[in-house]
Amino acid sequence: MTKINIILMSNTPILKMQNIHKRFGDLEVLRGISLEAYSGDVISMIGSSGSGKSTFLRCINLLEMPDQGEIILDGDPIQFKTDKNDTRSAANTGQVQNLRSRITMVFQQFNLWSHLTILENVTEAPIRVQKLSRPEANDLGMAFLEKVGIADKADTYPGFMSGGQQQRAAIARALAMQPEAILFDEPTSALDPELVEEVLVVIRRLAEEGTTMIVVTHEMSFARDVSNKALFLHQGKIEEEGDPAELFSSPKSSRLQQFLSSAMA
Amino acid sequence: MFETLQQTAFVQDIIILAKPALFNLYFALASIPMGFPFAVLLAIGKASPNRLFSLVSRGYIYAFRGSPLFIQFFMCYSIMLALNQSVWKPLGINHIMLHPLFLGPFVLVLNTSAYAAEIFYGALKTVPKGEVEAAQAYGMSRWNVFRIVTWPNMLRLAWPAYTNEMVFLFHATTLVYFTLPVINEQKDLMNKASELFERDYNVFLHFSVAALYFLLISIFIFWLAGLMQKHLNRHITGEKVRLFFKPRYLR
Repeated sequence: MTKINIILMSNTPILKMQNIHKRFGDLEVLRGISLEAYSGDVISMIGSSGSGKSTFLRCINLLEMPDQGEIILDGDPIQFKTDKNDTRSAANTGQVQNLRSRITMVFQQFNLWSHLTILENVTEAPIRVQKLSRPEANDLGMAFLEKVGIADKADTYPGFMSGGQQQRAAIARALAMQPEAILFDEPTSALDPELVEEVLVVIRRLAEEGTTMIVVTHEMSFARDVSNKALFLHQGKIEEEGDPAELFSSPKSSRLQQFLSSAMA
Repeated sequence: MFETLQQTAFVQDIIILAKPALFNLYFALASIPMGFPFAVLLAIGKASPNRLFSLVSRGYIYAFRGSPLFIQFFMCYSIMLALNQSVWKPLGINHIMLHPLFLGPFVLVLNTSAYAAEIFYGALKTVPKGEVEAAQAYGMSRWNVFRIVTWPNMLRLAWPAYTNEMVFLFHATTLVYFTLPVINEQKDLMNKASELFERDYNVFLHFSVAALYFLLISIFIFWLAGLMQKHLNRHITGEKVRLFFKPRYLR
Protein backbone atom coordinates (compact mmCIF):
# COMPACT_ATOMS: atom_id res chain seq x y z
CA MET A 1 0.00 0.00 0.00
CA THR A 2 2.63 2.52 1.02
CA LYS A 3 4.84 1.55 -1.90
CA ILE A 4 2.05 2.22 -4.36
CA ASN A 5 1.68 5.65 -2.83
CA ILE A 6 5.28 6.50 -3.52
CA ILE A 7 4.87 5.74 -7.18
CA LEU A 8 1.73 7.82 -7.43
CA MET A 9 3.26 10.89 -5.82
CA SER A 10 5.56 13.36 -7.51
CA ASN A 11 9.23 12.72 -7.14
CA THR A 12 10.21 15.74 -5.05
CA PRO A 13 10.68 14.52 -1.50
CA ILE A 14 8.46 16.19 1.11
CA LEU A 15 11.48 16.39 3.30
CA LYS A 16 15.13 16.14 2.55
CA MET A 17 17.79 16.22 5.25
CA GLN A 18 21.32 16.60 3.97
CA ASN A 19 24.50 15.83 5.83
CA ILE A 20 23.23 16.78 9.30
CA HIS A 21 25.88 17.33 11.94
CA LYS A 22 25.27 18.11 15.59
CA ARG A 23 27.53 18.31 18.58
CA PHE A 24 26.83 18.95 22.25
CA GLY A 25 30.06 20.39 23.60
CA ASP A 26 32.76 17.85 22.85
CA LEU A 27 30.32 15.10 22.04
CA GLU A 28 29.62 14.72 18.35
CA VAL A 29 26.12 13.26 18.32
CA LEU A 30 25.36 13.39 14.60
CA ARG A 31 28.11 12.92 12.06
CA GLY A 32 26.55 13.54 8.70
CA ILE A 33 23.12 11.98 8.35
CA SER A 34 20.96 12.36 5.26
CA LEU A 35 17.43 11.28 4.65
CA GLU A 36 14.72 11.71 2.07
CA ALA A 37 11.06 11.25 2.84
CA TYR A 38 8.49 11.00 0.07
CA SER A 39 4.77 11.30 0.53
CA GLY A 40 3.41 8.11 2.04
CA ASP A 41 6.77 6.95 3.36
CA VAL A 42 6.95 5.32 6.74
CA ILE A 43 10.56 5.50 7.81
CA SER A 44 11.64 3.85 10.99
CA MET A 45 14.87 4.70 12.74
CA ILE A 46 16.41 2.17 15.06
CA GLY A 47 19.59 2.07 17.01
CA SER A 48 20.84 1.75 20.54
CA SER A 49 20.43 4.65 22.94
CA GLY A 50 22.98 7.36 22.31
CA SER A 51 23.13 6.56 18.61
CA GLY A 52 21.63 9.98 17.83
CA LYS A 53 18.28 8.90 16.43
CA SER A 54 16.17 11.12 18.70
CA THR A 55 18.52 14.06 18.19
CA PHE A 56 18.26 13.60 14.45
CA LEU A 57 14.47 13.55 14.67
CA ARG A 58 14.55 16.76 16.71
CA CYS A 59 16.78 18.37 14.11
CA ILE A 60 14.07 17.84 11.52
CA ASN A 61 11.72 20.37 13.12
CA LEU A 62 14.62 22.37 14.56
CA LEU A 63 13.92 21.67 18.22
CA GLU A 64 17.63 20.99 17.98
CA MET A 65 19.66 23.28 15.73
CA PRO A 66 21.98 21.28 13.48
CA ASP A 67 25.52 22.67 13.32
CA GLN A 68 25.83 21.73 9.68
CA GLY A 69 23.60 20.44 6.94
CA GLU A 70 20.52 21.40 5.01
CA ILE A 71 16.82 20.87 5.60
CA ILE A 72 14.72 21.09 2.48
CA LEU A 73 10.97 21.08 2.87
CA ASP A 74 9.13 20.42 -0.36
CA GLY A 75 12.01 21.82 -2.41
CA ASP A 76 12.32 24.87 -0.19
CA PRO A 77 15.54 25.01 1.85
CA ILE A 78 15.41 26.37 5.41
CA GLN A 79 17.51 29.52 5.76
CA PHE A 80 20.17 29.63 8.42
CA LYS A 81 22.49 32.32 9.69
CA THR A 82 25.69 32.06 11.66
CA ASP A 83 26.65 34.62 14.28
CA LYS A 84 30.16 35.72 15.26
CA ASN A 85 30.49 32.87 17.77
CA ASP A 86 29.83 30.42 14.95
CA THR A 87 26.47 29.52 16.45
CA ARG A 88 23.86 28.68 13.91
CA SER A 89 20.28 29.85 14.10
CA ALA A 90 17.30 30.07 11.81
CA ALA A 91 17.35 33.18 9.66
CA ASN A 92 13.59 33.37 9.36
CA THR A 93 11.39 32.42 12.32
CA GLY A 94 8.31 32.52 10.11
CA GLN A 95 9.82 29.84 7.91
CA VAL A 96 10.60 27.67 10.94
CA GLN A 97 7.07 28.07 12.29
CA ASN A 98 5.77 27.10 8.87
CA LEU A 99 7.98 24.00 8.83
CA ARG A 100 6.80 23.03 12.30
CA SER A 101 3.15 23.45 11.45
CA ARG A 102 3.60 21.18 8.43
CA ILE A 103 5.67 18.50 10.14
CA THR A 104 4.25 17.82 13.59
CA MET A 105 5.64 15.70 16.37
CA VAL A 106 4.58 13.08 18.88
CA PHE A 107 6.81 12.89 21.95
CA GLN A 108 7.96 10.04 24.13
CA GLN A 109 6.54 11.74 27.24
CA PHE A 110 3.36 12.85 25.40
CA ASN A 111 3.93 16.48 26.45
CA LEU A 112 0.25 17.27 26.43
CA TRP A 113 -0.60 20.69 27.85
CA SER A 114 -1.69 19.57 31.26
CA HIS A 115 -3.95 22.52 32.12
CA LEU A 116 -6.01 22.16 28.95
CA THR A 117 -8.66 19.56 28.26
CA ILE A 118 -7.99 16.91 25.65
CA LEU A 119 -10.11 18.72 23.07
CA GLU A 120 -8.36 22.01 23.84
CA ASN A 121 -5.01 20.25 23.46
CA VAL A 122 -6.03 19.13 20.00
CA THR A 123 -7.56 22.43 18.87
CA GLU A 124 -5.08 24.92 20.33
CA ALA A 125 -2.46 24.76 17.58
CA PRO A 126 -4.96 24.81 14.67
CA ILE A 127 -6.58 27.88 16.27
CA ARG A 128 -3.36 29.75 17.07
CA VAL A 129 -1.19 28.72 14.17
CA GLN A 130 -3.59 27.98 11.33
CA LYS A 131 -6.11 30.60 12.47
CA LEU A 132 -9.06 28.25 12.41
CA SER A 133 -12.21 29.47 14.18
CA ARG A 134 -13.00 27.69 17.43
CA PRO A 135 -16.12 25.88 16.13
CA GLU A 136 -14.21 24.71 13.05
CA ALA A 137 -11.32 23.52 15.19
CA ASN A 138 -13.69 21.77 17.59
CA ASP A 139 -15.31 19.81 14.76
CA LEU A 140 -11.92 18.91 13.39
CA GLY A 141 -10.61 18.02 16.84
CA MET A 142 -13.57 15.77 17.63
CA ALA A 143 -13.12 13.98 14.31
CA PHE A 144 -9.51 13.17 15.15
CA LEU A 145 -10.31 12.19 18.72
CA GLU A 146 -12.91 9.85 17.25
CA LYS A 147 -10.26 8.45 14.96
CA VAL A 148 -7.89 7.58 17.79
CA GLY A 149 -10.80 6.27 19.85
CA ILE A 150 -10.98 8.74 22.74
CA ALA A 151 -13.80 11.07 21.69
CA ASP A 152 -15.49 10.39 25.04
CA LYS A 153 -12.47 11.93 26.81
CA ALA A 154 -12.73 15.29 25.03
CA ASP A 155 -13.44 17.25 28.23
CA THR A 156 -11.02 15.34 30.44
CA TYR A 157 -7.69 16.72 31.58
CA PRO A 158 -4.62 14.70 30.57
CA GLY A 159 -3.79 13.91 34.20
CA PHE A 160 -6.90 11.78 34.49
CA MET A 161 -6.05 9.49 31.59
CA SER A 162 -3.84 6.45 31.14
CA GLY A 163 -0.56 6.80 29.30
CA GLY A 164 -1.97 5.03 26.26
CA GLN A 165 -4.92 7.40 26.11
CA GLN A 166 -2.63 10.38 26.56
CA GLN A 167 -0.39 9.26 23.74
CA ARG A 168 -3.41 8.71 21.48
CA ALA A 169 -4.53 12.25 22.36
CA ALA A 170 -1.06 13.47 21.43
CA ILE A 171 -1.40 11.68 18.09
CA ALA A 172 -4.77 13.35 17.53
CA ARG A 173 -3.09 16.66 18.32
CA ALA A 174 -0.43 15.95 15.70
CA LEU A 175 -3.08 14.94 13.15
CA ALA A 176 -5.25 17.99 13.76
CA MET A 177 -2.65 20.18 12.10
CA GLN A 178 -3.21 18.07 8.97
CA PRO A 179 0.54 17.89 8.50
CA GLU A 180 2.51 16.61 5.56
CA ALA A 181 4.48 14.33 7.85
CA ILE A 182 4.48 13.32 11.51
CA LEU A 183 7.58 12.67 13.59
CA PHE A 184 7.28 10.03 16.31
CA ASP A 185 9.93 10.13 19.00
CA GLU A 186 9.79 6.72 20.69
CA PRO A 187 6.01 6.96 21.06
CA THR A 188 5.62 3.80 23.13
CA SER A 189 8.76 3.86 25.26
CA ALA A 190 7.13 5.59 28.23
CA LEU A 191 4.11 3.29 28.27
CA ASP A 192 3.30 0.28 30.41
CA PRO A 193 3.69 -2.87 28.33
CA GLU A 194 -0.03 -3.55 28.22
CA LEU A 195 -0.73 -0.07 26.84
CA VAL A 196 1.79 -0.23 23.99
CA GLU A 197 -0.47 -2.11 21.62
CA GLU A 198 -3.35 0.40 21.67
CA VAL A 199 -0.96 3.13 20.53
CA LEU A 200 0.70 0.94 17.91
CA VAL A 201 -2.71 0.05 16.49
CA VAL A 202 -3.40 3.73 15.89
CA ILE A 203 -0.01 4.37 14.29
CA ARG A 204 -0.38 1.26 12.12
CA ARG A 205 -3.71 2.47 10.84
CA LEU A 206 -2.22 5.87 9.99
CA ALA A 207 0.49 4.10 8.03
CA GLU A 208 -2.12 2.13 6.09
CA GLU A 209 -3.89 5.36 5.23
CA GLY A 210 -0.71 6.69 3.68
CA THR A 211 0.33 9.18 6.38
CA THR A 212 3.97 10.12 5.97
CA MET A 213 5.80 9.26 9.15
CA ILE A 214 9.29 9.13 10.55
CA VAL A 215 9.34 6.93 13.61
CA VAL A 216 12.11 6.47 16.14
CA THR A 217 11.28 3.23 17.84
CA HIS A 218 12.43 0.29 19.88
CA GLU A 219 9.52 -1.84 18.69
CA MET A 220 11.38 -3.97 16.16
CA SER A 221 8.41 -5.94 14.89
CA PHE A 222 6.51 -2.70 14.42
CA ALA A 223 9.40 -1.21 12.44
CA ARG A 224 9.63 -4.35 10.29
CA ASP A 225 5.92 -4.69 9.55
CA VAL A 226 4.85 -1.09 9.13
CA SER A 227 7.67 0.87 7.58
CA ASN A 228 8.82 0.84 3.99
CA LYS A 229 12.27 2.13 4.83
CA ALA A 230 14.43 1.51 7.84
CA LEU A 231 17.57 3.24 9.07
CA PHE A 232 19.98 1.83 11.57
CA LEU A 233 21.98 4.52 13.34
CA HIS A 234 25.20 3.90 15.14
CA GLN A 235 27.35 6.59 16.77
CA GLY A 236 25.81 9.42 14.83
CA LYS A 237 25.96 7.80 11.42
CA ILE A 238 23.70 5.67 9.30
CA GLU A 239 25.26 2.25 9.57
CA GLU A 240 22.75 0.53 7.35
CA GLU A 241 19.55 1.47 5.57
CA GLY A 242 17.09 -0.10 3.22
CA ASP A 243 14.00 -2.21 2.92
CA PRO A 244 12.96 -3.29 6.42
CA ALA A 245 12.22 -6.86 5.42
CA GLU A 246 15.78 -7.27 4.18
CA LEU A 247 17.35 -5.19 6.88
CA PHE A 248 15.83 -7.27 9.62
CA SER A 249 16.18 -10.70 7.99
CA SER A 250 19.68 -10.33 6.63
CA PRO A 251 21.57 -7.49 8.29
CA LYS A 252 24.88 -6.84 6.58
CA SER A 253 26.86 -4.95 9.20
CA SER A 254 28.01 -6.74 12.30
CA ARG A 255 26.76 -3.84 14.44
CA LEU A 256 23.21 -4.30 13.20
CA GLN A 257 23.46 -8.05 13.62
CA GLN A 258 24.56 -7.50 17.18
CA PHE A 259 21.89 -4.89 17.81
CA LEU A 260 19.11 -7.04 16.39
CA SER A 261 20.12 -10.13 18.26
CA SER A 262 19.99 -8.23 21.56
CA ALA A 263 16.86 -6.26 20.67
CA MET A 264 14.83 -9.18 19.40
CA ALA A 265 15.81 -11.46 22.28
CA MET B 1 -19.32 47.10 85.60
CA PHE B 2 -15.63 46.67 84.80
CA GLU B 3 -16.52 44.16 82.15
CA THR B 4 -19.02 46.37 80.40
CA LEU B 5 -16.44 49.16 80.41
CA GLN B 6 -13.93 46.87 78.78
CA GLN B 7 -16.52 45.86 76.32
CA THR B 8 -17.38 49.38 75.34
CA ALA B 9 -13.71 50.31 75.09
CA PHE B 10 -13.25 47.33 72.83
CA VAL B 11 -16.23 48.20 70.70
CA GLN B 12 -15.13 51.81 70.60
CA ASP B 13 -11.68 50.81 69.42
CA ILE B 14 -13.26 48.84 66.64
CA ILE B 15 -15.22 51.89 65.56
CA ILE B 16 -12.28 54.26 65.86
CA LEU B 17 -9.92 51.97 63.96
CA ALA B 18 -12.30 51.27 61.09
CA LYS B 19 -11.29 54.31 59.08
CA PRO B 20 -7.52 53.85 59.65
CA ALA B 21 -7.91 50.27 58.42
CA LEU B 22 -9.03 51.68 55.10
CA PHE B 23 -5.62 53.34 54.73
CA ASN B 24 -3.80 50.05 55.07
CA LEU B 25 -6.26 48.48 52.67
CA TYR B 26 -5.71 51.34 50.25
CA PHE B 27 -1.92 50.94 50.33
CA ALA B 28 -2.22 47.23 49.61
CA LEU B 29 -4.87 47.59 46.93
CA ALA B 30 -2.94 50.36 45.23
CA SER B 31 0.33 48.45 45.12
CA ILE B 32 -0.60 44.81 44.46
CA PRO B 33 -2.18 45.33 41.01
CA MET B 34 0.78 47.49 39.96
CA GLY B 35 3.41 45.24 41.49
CA PHE B 36 2.09 42.09 39.84
CA PRO B 37 2.70 42.96 36.18
CA PHE B 38 5.97 44.68 37.08
CA ALA B 39 7.11 41.55 38.89
CA VAL B 40 6.19 39.35 35.92
CA LEU B 41 8.22 41.60 33.60
CA LEU B 42 11.19 41.50 35.97
CA ALA B 43 11.00 37.72 36.20
CA ILE B 44 10.93 37.40 32.42
CA GLY B 45 13.81 39.87 32.28
CA LYS B 46 15.85 37.85 34.72
CA ALA B 47 15.20 34.65 32.77
CA SER B 48 15.93 36.37 29.48
CA PRO B 49 18.88 35.14 27.39
CA ASN B 50 19.59 38.82 26.69
CA ARG B 51 22.51 39.74 28.97
CA LEU B 52 21.46 43.35 29.48
CA PHE B 53 17.83 42.60 30.40
CA SER B 54 18.93 39.85 32.70
CA LEU B 55 21.58 41.96 34.41
CA VAL B 56 19.27 44.94 34.95
CA SER B 57 16.50 42.73 36.35
CA ARG B 58 18.91 40.81 38.57
CA GLY B 59 20.38 44.06 39.87
CA TYR B 60 16.98 45.50 40.62
CA ILE B 61 15.74 42.38 42.36
CA TYR B 62 18.93 42.13 44.37
CA ALA B 63 18.79 45.76 45.49
CA PHE B 64 15.18 45.70 46.64
CA ARG B 65 15.26 42.23 48.11
CA GLY B 66 18.57 42.81 49.79
CA SER B 67 17.71 46.01 51.66
CA PRO B 68 15.10 46.66 54.35
CA LEU B 69 11.77 48.11 53.26
CA PHE B 70 12.11 50.59 56.11
CA ILE B 71 15.26 52.06 54.60
CA GLN B 72 13.73 52.03 51.12
CA PHE B 73 10.97 54.29 52.41
CA PHE B 74 13.47 56.72 53.94
CA MET B 75 15.71 56.73 50.86
CA CYS B 76 12.82 57.26 48.51
CA TYR B 77 11.37 60.04 50.61
CA SER B 78 14.69 61.89 50.85
CA ILE B 79 15.28 61.55 47.11
CA MET B 80 11.81 62.92 46.46
CA LEU B 81 12.52 65.80 48.84
CA ALA B 82 15.84 66.55 47.17
CA LEU B 83 14.16 66.74 43.79
CA ASN B 84 11.37 68.92 45.13
CA GLN B 85 12.78 72.38 44.35
CA SER B 86 14.39 71.54 41.05
CA VAL B 87 11.89 69.14 39.50
CA TRP B 88 8.55 68.62 41.20
CA LYS B 89 7.79 72.27 41.97
CA PRO B 90 8.49 73.58 38.46
CA LEU B 91 6.33 70.80 37.10
CA GLY B 92 3.66 71.67 39.65
CA ILE B 93 3.33 68.10 40.91
CA ASN B 94 5.14 68.54 44.25
CA HIS B 95 1.96 67.88 46.23
CA ILE B 96 1.43 64.56 44.55
CA MET B 97 5.04 63.37 44.55
CA LEU B 98 5.57 64.00 48.27
CA HIS B 99 2.17 62.80 49.43
CA PRO B 100 2.22 59.54 51.41
CA LEU B 101 -0.83 58.32 49.53
CA PHE B 102 1.34 58.37 46.41
CA LEU B 103 4.78 57.67 47.86
CA GLY B 104 3.55 54.81 50.04
CA PRO B 105 2.21 52.66 47.22
CA PHE B 106 5.13 53.77 45.05
CA VAL B 107 7.75 52.29 47.38
CA LEU B 108 5.59 49.26 48.12
CA VAL B 109 5.32 48.54 44.38
CA LEU B 110 9.09 48.82 43.99
CA ASN B 111 9.58 46.46 46.91
CA THR B 112 6.91 43.84 46.25
CA SER B 113 7.78 43.59 42.59
CA ALA B 114 11.33 42.53 43.51
CA TYR B 115 10.12 39.84 45.91
CA ALA B 116 7.35 38.64 43.62
CA ALA B 117 9.73 38.68 40.65
CA GLU B 118 11.93 36.17 42.43
CA ILE B 119 8.88 33.99 43.05
CA PHE B 120 7.80 34.17 39.41
CA TYR B 121 11.35 33.60 38.23
CA GLY B 122 11.52 30.41 40.25
CA ALA B 123 8.20 29.30 38.81
CA LEU B 124 9.31 30.21 35.31
CA LYS B 125 12.33 27.94 35.68
CA THR B 126 10.14 24.97 36.65
CA VAL B 127 7.56 25.24 33.89
CA PRO B 128 7.53 21.73 32.32
CA LYS B 129 10.05 21.88 29.45
CA GLY B 130 8.22 19.24 27.46
CA GLU B 131 5.05 21.30 27.34
CA VAL B 132 6.95 24.34 26.10
CA GLU B 133 8.70 22.21 23.53
CA ALA B 134 5.41 20.77 22.31
CA ALA B 135 4.05 24.27 21.76
CA GLN B 136 7.19 25.19 19.82
CA ALA B 137 7.01 21.98 17.82
CA TYR B 138 3.54 22.92 16.59
CA GLY B 139 4.75 26.18 15.09
CA MET B 140 3.46 28.53 17.78
CA SER B 141 4.99 31.99 17.96
CA ARG B 142 6.97 32.95 21.05
CA TRP B 143 4.05 35.01 22.29
CA ASN B 144 1.63 32.08 21.88
CA VAL B 145 4.02 29.69 23.60
CA PHE B 146 4.15 32.10 26.51
CA ARG B 147 0.43 32.71 26.65
CA ILE B 148 -0.71 29.14 26.20
CA VAL B 149 1.91 27.18 28.11
CA THR B 150 4.39 29.26 30.10
CA TRP B 151 2.00 31.76 31.68
CA PRO B 152 -0.63 29.37 33.12
CA ASN B 153 2.05 27.01 34.42
CA MET B 154 4.05 29.83 35.93
CA LEU B 155 1.01 31.29 37.65
CA ARG B 156 0.02 27.93 39.09
CA LEU B 157 3.51 27.16 40.37
CA ALA B 158 4.02 30.63 41.84
CA TRP B 159 0.60 31.07 43.39
CA PRO B 160 1.09 29.72 46.95
CA ALA B 161 4.27 31.74 47.41
CA TYR B 162 2.70 34.78 45.79
CA THR B 163 -0.22 34.56 48.22
CA ASN B 164 2.33 34.84 51.00
CA GLU B 165 3.89 37.85 49.35
CA MET B 166 0.51 39.59 49.08
CA VAL B 167 -0.18 39.09 52.77
CA PHE B 168 3.34 40.21 53.70
CA LEU B 169 2.85 43.29 51.60
CA PHE B 170 -0.43 44.03 53.30
CA HIS B 171 1.25 43.79 56.68
CA ALA B 172 4.16 45.92 55.45
CA THR B 173 1.73 48.79 54.84
CA THR B 174 2.20 49.56 58.55
CA LEU B 175 5.64 50.93 57.69
CA VAL B 176 4.31 53.68 55.45
CA TYR B 177 3.48 56.14 58.23
CA PHE B 178 6.48 55.11 60.29
CA THR B 179 8.64 56.78 57.71
CA LEU B 180 6.46 59.26 55.84
CA PRO B 181 4.76 62.31 57.35
CA VAL B 182 1.19 61.96 58.55
CA ILE B 183 -0.99 64.55 56.90
CA ASN B 184 -3.98 65.81 58.91
CA GLU B 185 -6.03 62.90 60.19
CA GLN B 186 -4.79 60.50 57.50
CA LYS B 187 -3.64 57.79 59.87
CA ASP B 188 -3.34 54.06 59.38
CA LEU B 189 -3.98 51.32 61.92
CA MET B 190 -0.56 51.53 63.56
CA ASN B 191 -0.67 55.33 63.86
CA LYS B 192 -4.09 55.36 65.36
CA ALA B 193 -3.41 52.44 67.69
CA SER B 194 -0.23 54.19 68.95
CA GLU B 195 -2.19 57.35 69.45
CA LEU B 196 -4.80 55.51 71.49
CA PHE B 197 -2.03 53.78 73.43
CA GLU B 198 -0.41 57.07 74.36
CA ARG B 199 -3.68 58.15 75.98
CA ASP B 200 -4.14 55.28 78.42
CA TYR B 201 -1.11 52.97 77.98
CA ASN B 202 -3.42 50.03 77.32
CA VAL B 203 -1.12 48.22 74.92
CA PHE B 204 -3.07 45.04 74.86
CA LEU B 205 -6.44 46.46 73.93
CA HIS B 206 -5.52 48.91 71.20
CA PHE B 207 -2.97 46.83 69.39
CA SER B 208 -5.14 43.74 69.65
CA VAL B 209 -7.95 45.53 67.89
CA ALA B 210 -5.50 46.73 65.25
CA ALA B 211 -4.27 43.16 64.84
CA LEU B 212 -7.87 42.02 64.56
CA TYR B 213 -8.33 44.22 61.52
CA PHE B 214 -5.20 42.76 59.97
CA LEU B 215 -6.45 39.26 60.67
CA LEU B 216 -9.81 40.06 59.17
CA ILE B 217 -8.45 41.50 55.96
CA SER B 218 -5.82 38.77 55.72
CA ILE B 219 -8.46 36.06 55.89
CA PHE B 220 -10.21 37.74 52.99
CA ILE B 221 -6.96 37.69 51.00
CA PHE B 222 -6.44 34.03 51.88
CA TRP B 223 -9.95 33.20 50.79
CA LEU B 224 -9.65 34.96 47.45
CA ALA B 225 -6.21 33.51 46.81
CA GLY B 226 -7.54 30.09 47.77
CA LEU B 227 -10.28 30.32 45.15
CA MET B 228 -7.67 31.24 42.59
CA GLN B 229 -5.45 28.39 43.74
CA LYS B 230 -8.31 25.96 43.24
CA HIS B 231 -8.97 27.36 39.79
CA LEU B 232 -5.31 27.09 38.78
CA ASN B 233 -5.18 23.48 39.96
CA ARG B 234 -8.45 22.32 38.48
CA HIS B 235 -6.68 20.02 36.03
CA ILE B 236 -4.96 18.26 38.91
CA THR B 237 -7.81 18.02 41.39
CA GLY B 238 -10.60 17.80 38.84
CA GLU B 239 -12.51 20.30 40.94
CA LYS B 240 -14.39 23.04 39.12
CA VAL B 241 -14.38 26.51 40.67
CA ARG B 242 -16.76 29.33 39.93
CA LEU B 243 -14.88 32.59 39.80
CA PHE B 244 -16.84 35.81 39.92
CA PHE B 245 -14.44 37.42 37.58
CA LYS B 246 -12.61 35.46 34.93
CA PRO B 247 -10.73 37.32 32.26
CA ARG B 248 -9.50 35.46 29.18
CA TYR B 249 -5.86 35.58 30.23
CA LEU B 250 -6.50 33.40 33.27
CA ARG B 251 -7.18 30.25 31.23
